[in-house]
Amino acid sequence: MSRTARTASVAACVAASLALAGCAGESGGAAGTGSSTLNIATMTLPQSLDPAVATGSALPYFQAVYDTLIKREPDGTFSPMLATEWTYDKTRTHLALTLRKDVKFADGTAFDGAAVKANMERFQKGGGASAKWLADLKAVDVTDATHVTLELAQPNPAMEFYLSDAPGLMANPKRFAKADSLKTTPDGTGPYRLDKTRTTVGTKWSYARNPDYWGKELPYKNITISFFDNETAITNGLKTGQINAALLQTSDQQIAVESDPKVKTEKQEFDFQGLLLFDRDGRITPALRDPRVRQALNYAVDRDTMLDRIRQNRGRTTSQVFGPETQAYDKKLDTYYAHDPAKAKSLLKQAGYAKGFTLKLPRITAIVNDALAASLQSDFKAIGVKLVWDTLDGASAVQKVFKDRQYSGMVMNMGQSTSDWAAADELVTPGAFNMFGTTDKVTRKLLPALKAGNEAEAKSAARELNHHLVEDAWFLPFYRMSYLHVSDGTVKISPQSGMAVPSIYNYAPAK
Amino acid sequence: MLNFIARRIAAGAVLLVVISFLSYLLLSVPHIDVGRQLLGESASQSAIDAKNASLGLDEPVLRQYANWFAHAVRGDLGTSWFTSEDVGQAVGNRLPVTASLMLGVTAVTTVLAFLLGVWAGVRRGAADRFVQVLGVVGYALPGFLLTLVLVLVFAVRLRWFPAIGYTGFTDSPSGWLSTITLPVLSLSVASVAGVSQQVRGAVIDALRQDYVRTLRARGLPASRIVFKHVLRNASAPALSVLGMQFVGLLGGAVLVEQIFGLPGIGSMTVTYTARGDIPVIMALVMLTVVGVVLINLLVDILIGWLNPKARVA
Repeated sequence: MSRTARTASVAACVAASLALAGCAGESGGAAGTGSSTLNIATMTLPQSLDPAVATGSALPYFQAVYDTLIKREPDGTFSPMLATEWTYDKTRTHLALTLRKDVKFADGTAFDGAAVKANMERFQKGGGASAKWLADLKAVDVTDATHVTLELAQPNPAMEFYLSDAPGLMANPKRFAKADSLKTTPDGTGPYRLDKTRTTVGTKWSYARNPDYWGKELPYKNITISFFDNETAITNGLKTGQINAALLQTSDQQIAVESDPKVKTEKQEFDFQGLLLFDRDGRITPALRDPRVRQALNYAVDRDTMLDRIRQNRGRTTSQVFGPETQAYDKKLDTYYAHDPAKAKSLLKQAGYAKGFTLKLPRITAIVNDALAASLQSDFKAIGVKLVWDTLDGASAVQKVFKDRQYSGMVMNMGQSTSDWAAADELVTPGAFNMFGTTDKVTRKLLPALKAGNEAEAKSAARELNHHLVEDAWFLPFYRMSYLHVSDGTVKISPQSGMAVPSIYNYAPAK
Repeated sequence: MLNFIARRIAAGAVLLVVISFLSYLLLSVPHIDVGRQLLGESASQSAIDAKNASLGLDEPVLRQYANWFAHAVRGDLGTSWFTSEDVGQAVGNRLPVTASLMLGVTAVTTVLAFLLGVWAGVRRGAADRFVQVLGVVGYALPGFLLTLVLVLVFAVRLRWFPAIGYTGFTDSPSGWLSTITLPVLSLSVASVAGVSQQVRGAVIDALRQDYVRTLRARGLPASRIVFKHVLRNASAPALSVLGMQFVGLLGGAVLVEQIFGLPGIGSMTVTYTARGDIPVIMALVMLTVVGVVLINLLVDILIGWLNPKARVA
């Protein structure tokens, strides 16, 4: 054998062995293994597995090990989970729950009314998002092991929604005494248990089916949730079957994955992107006090072009902050502010700002990419408004925007709740996203009606409120973004109403 | 020699303290409201204050640093603020991933760069021009582009290697090899390009020395002159560059780890720095300083071993 031939054969052997090693690594690693293991990829990193810190997009990490009191079905309807029945009294301030019997936590402790009370009180003390959601909860009365009543200071129409979300997650109260014990060793009644031997906190969480689960077992024996900090890796993992299911938010990765004939996709519109105008009282930017100025900004924005350039038309333009699943939603409001720079200029002139003004906004590049930053700047410039971006990292933005209240608004991606009250409470009630506490005659009248009125009153108030917010230009929404639930072809994913990511119950082997 | 090593380690320890102090100070300057980040925008100010106090963030920065230092010298690097991981464990879990990459790249670079460099330096002519062009192309090729092409061709299309993820060596040596091959290749190109040029230059310089002419005159075979005498002398500058490349790999590892979804130190640095997770960032800074000190020490010892002239008294 000549030297060249020898070299070639050695090279071929090395390549073959590496290729074989590749195959071995794939099947032994994260590759799809039918219905035995479901590998989910996510870009959400949970703070811990203690339900006290559970939040929206991290919910699947928790749903695997903790059940909620009420289950939210993919279509948004509520069904029994740890609570088999729930009824309000006439005043809608007492919510009586009947709890499931014979449900046990991992250590054998029985789940009962006392556990509900302990969990609720712990959420309230925790200070996070769940504490805010449970702000109306005055007391939890435990009648007996299977009956509790949640006493509310005032009616709250979103309570069932909350109990199907983070504040509904039930942990073993025996573990509450030791402050950090649930963080890495969760203890719930859920369909899976954390497999600590195969879990690397921060990168991959492995769950194994709970052999003592009270309910119908989910289709997969094991579930892993892996954290990635970019969608490129997720897309490649989906294409090679190393990841079975994931949510892709960016349009370029959606396009990249759609070209693969093997993958299955499911669209969902959940987040809207828009400029939340906080400064409606004109404390930082006096011009914004005048509704005509806010309307002018809305007319100035060319939403169709933005959607086309920034998201390759993956989404739907809108002028309202309420999502299509709410009672408040009115399709006509999606097109309320058609692009009309002349009308915008005229409104500015009427408001006394014919020469325009300067608007300084924070920019987090993960949300406001170059195309979006340039697009808004040029649209505003066309009506004489100078938009100045102040580029911040995520951590500084939280500080400067929400604590120091340095800006008049912020471009954000906001989830659209299916609950009218939850959406209104987040955006309109004085609080984090109405940080200057703007109210007016209409909101003062409609918010209580939306919260405490009967079904018909609440519906009417929600619609009226939505119209008012759009007409008075409280916000400047751009579009609802299309997200893509993608599977490698082996999994059927059902999008979850009210959540950007599917619940852990929404995955099944594809037929 | 022992004295030299002890002095270098002592200097390294001083450096570690100084850098840890400066890093802590720099990280504390932005006054990031950690409690608000942890509890969310809607949390009450009292809950945020309580959270910050529970993390010791209500104390003056100097006291915070003193607390951190007192625990760190006892081996307790604390707990991540944002993921509740034990920091020592978190870094330990990710270190093998990045260490595999760095060692892999160093091994590939050492072999290929020395082979190419010596070949070009000794043969000159077309071989030299070929290696020089290769060097320029390898250096100029954008790392992310090469990485993306490698993953798309060899992982997504041909399925020779996994596109994402890492398998530990102890779990499966073949799995380990398959998961690090493409990342190592993509990181090695620029590294080989840089070091091979250094080796080439050093070999050409060494070949011009009088002792080489003498050795040739004494009739020693060319291969012996090159591999025993020239390479020894030419290795010192190449090793210095290799050492610097090794340290610089940490930066390159960030991108490669992200594209290959490798849970290593590089991607960890980006994720945790963006959140301002001081306990984790401090551990990563310390790890980097220790790495740099040790590598420089190792390079000096190696150079001394190869070239007696460079040995310290």
